[in-house]
Amino acid sequence: MIQLFHVSKYYDRRPALSNINLQIEKGEFVLLVGPSGAGKTTLLKLLFCAEHPDDGQILVQNRNVARLRPSDVPYLRRTMGIVFQDFRLLPKKNVFENVALPLMVQGASAFETRRKVTEALKAVGIEHRKESRPALLSAGEQQRVCIARAIVNGPIILLADEPTGNMDPDLAGEIMELFKMIHARGTTVMVATHNRQVVEQVGRRVVMLNEGKLVSDKGAGQ
Amino acid sequence: MRQIAYLVREAVTNIRINRTTTLIAVATTAFTLACFGVFLLLYLNLKGMARSLQDDIKAIVYLNDGLTAQGVSDLQSRIKADQEVASLSYVSKEQALADFRTQFPSESHLLQGLGENPLPASFVVTLSPKFRSSEAVRRWAERLRAVPGVAHVQYSREWIENLATVLGYIELAAVAVGTILSVASVTIIASTIRLTLYARRDEIEIMRLIGATGSFIKIPYLLEGAALGALGGALALMLLKSGFEFFKLQLGAPGRFLGIESGFGFFPARISLLMVLAGLLLGSAGSFVSLIEFKGAKP
Repeated sequence: MIQLFHVSKYYDRRPALSNINLQIEKGEFVLLVGPSGAGKTTLLKLLFCAEHPDDGQILVQNRNVARLRPSDVPYLRRTMGIVFQDFRLLPKKNVFENVALPLMVQGASAFETRRKVTEALKAVGIEHRKESRPALLSAGEQQRVCIARAIVNGPIILLADEPTGNMDPDLAGEIMELFKMIHARGTTVMVATHNRQVVEQVGRRVVMLNEGKLVSDKGAGQ
Repeated sequence: MRQIAYLVREAVTNIRINRTTTLIAVATTAFTLACFGVFLLLYLNLKGMARSLQDDIKAIVYLNDGLTAQGVSDLQSRIKADQEVASLSYVSKEQALADFRTQFPSESHLLQGLGENPLPASFVVTLSPKFRSSEAVRRWAERLRAVPGVAHVQYSREWIENLATVLGYIELAAVAVGTILSVASVTIIASTIRLTLYARRDEIEIMRLIGATGSFIKIPYLLEGAALGALGGALALMLLKSGFEFFKLQLGAPGRFLGIESGFGFFPARISLLMVLAGLLLGSAGSFVSLIEFKGAKP
């Protein structure tokens, strides 16, 4: 599903990632852990083509993303769901409209949009707030909306960058349960976190990065 | 269809949110097109006037005194046969004197002391439209001067040609002013769109990350620019029409006396539409320029 071969990425000649080799199978749940500045976000950005590797090759669904034409990038992203620590919701649109956006850009019909958005909102338990603007929601609710937006399109891969950052342990636990539920449906999930409690709660494959290097890979194949 | 509705809605939202910059962009486009419109209006009206004057171009062929009636008749047939001549009428010496007295009653005493009628007989020739160029008229007049019985050929072609030269200058000025102001308008609309893009860069980033294509992101901004330009074009038309009516009102009675007023006209519907279209194109060009520069709209 995801393969990285000798991948390196530099910012101002400083390595953010050095010679990363990683293979993630379809349907795996992978936790990407490490301290701040370890290269977790950079690795995720490489996967959804927000950055390009300086060295090495990356295959996502058997497509070499380093060689992808710019016009093909949106179509690759449509097969992925992305969850951010800062939610990145559109403040002027309500919950329903925010979640409907990925369907809108693909030209889904009104009927299909309503059905899928309602389904996604139900899955994350936020259907009752569908008319609200993001500013009126709590952090946990905003993250649920962000997750609903990421799964509304039925993605093959779900990438989450510190989805529980700045959340209390109970809330973080609830959010991680949602990821486990999404994974149980067959989606490949990759979550970057530095939250130890999350690692213990999920108990899946843990890939550890430190100073841009892959230092351990435990529990592969789970 | 839903996508189109969404893109149009987004463009309208952009315009509503950035009211001040929108107003500035519309006003600039309106000013640009109005300036250009003033030249165009002047050019079209002067051109119309020149054309109607050209239709009136006549040459006067003065005849030698003492020409017999048969001589006059032969000469008339000879001149009529020229392809340059559309029509002609004979003005006898007596008729010329009567006309002079009618046109200049206060100066008629000047002729009294002379005893004999000094005014020559003449043919007033209307030239064929195909032969109204300076060169054609000059050649024809030279040829005619050599014909026995012809004393002199008079035509007033030069000032019409001068008018054509002036029209050429106005045309040039309109193009120059139009070009300079168009660049200014494109730049200001580009800045307006750039401000919008900057204000909504986070939103654009999110759209990119959820799989929106470049065109899906760009189209609302192109529509916004086109709408601003078209609004500017419409406003320019309104300004020009108001200015035109005011000018006509100021011209009033003297204009009617000189026969100028009736010759003046505003743009026909086709040119008015082209004006709005020009605004639309300027606006789209402004958006296009800002989108090329804006990296956020790329994947």
